[in-house]
Amino acid sequence: MASGDTLIVFTPYANEPPSASYATLDTRNAHPVLDFDGSADEEAVFTGILPRNYAGGGLTVYLHVMFTSATTGSAYWQAAIERMDDGTLDLDADSFAAFQGAAGNPNGTSGVMTLVTITFTTGAQMDSLAAGEAFRLKIRRDADGTAGTDDVTTDAELVAVEIKET
Amino acid sequence: MALLSSTIKQALRAEYGQKLSERRESFNLTKAQLDAVINAIDGWIDANAASFNSAIPQPQRGLLTAAQKADLFFRVALARFGG
Repeated sequence: MASGDTLIVFTPYANEPPSASYATLDTRNAHPVLDFDGSADEEAVFTGILPRNYAGGGLTVYLHVMFTSATTGSAYWQAAIERMDDGTLDLDADSFAAFQGAAGNPNGTSGVMTLVTITFTTGAQMDSLAAGEAFRLKIRRDADGTAGTDDVTTDAELVAVEIKET
Repeated sequence: MALLSSTIKQALRAEYGQKLSERRESFNLTKAQLDAVINAIDGWIDANAASFNSAIPQPQRGLLTAAQKADLFFRVALARFGG
């Protein structure tokens, strides 16, 4: 696997919503989306296995998002990884590594997607996840602006997630 | 009448944002800009509450509760401005 190659893709139907403050499933012109509120933080969670051909580099998470109403402003997105290594992690408790984040500005045309890029360096930021191990990826819109500026009043819609080797 | 608390105003902003999102209605005010609008409306209502009340004829003014007057104000405003 070379740097820059896609490792895994998640779409809204793969979401495993947390028990509270979850992004809600919706459709936009028949496209499944996950709605993230404009005021309260909401999250989506995806489970995957890091492919065996992952070569040990950092990870880049791409979020493909739209906005229901806004065509200006800035939203703040975060992502965190939880390594679910066999023989070690007790899944009865969450153990996500620290969130990494990035801003994503609405496109000037509502309905056109924006690409949000969140990078993880290899090691602690990606919870030391290794090839062949199961993991969860948590996506959060930091709508209350705790970690970064989010001034978009209305919903954002997550269309797809790509993880590539940086 | 006291101005709305910041908690109530934040809830108002959140509720309005959800309503706009459900309608997929174009909206580009930032949260801070919308907060300023809500503050201005709240302040205007506070400053003009007595005038509004005086505009209601008697004996209706004395028969209606404050909540009923507010409800009627809301409905008339929506009817006038197409909300």
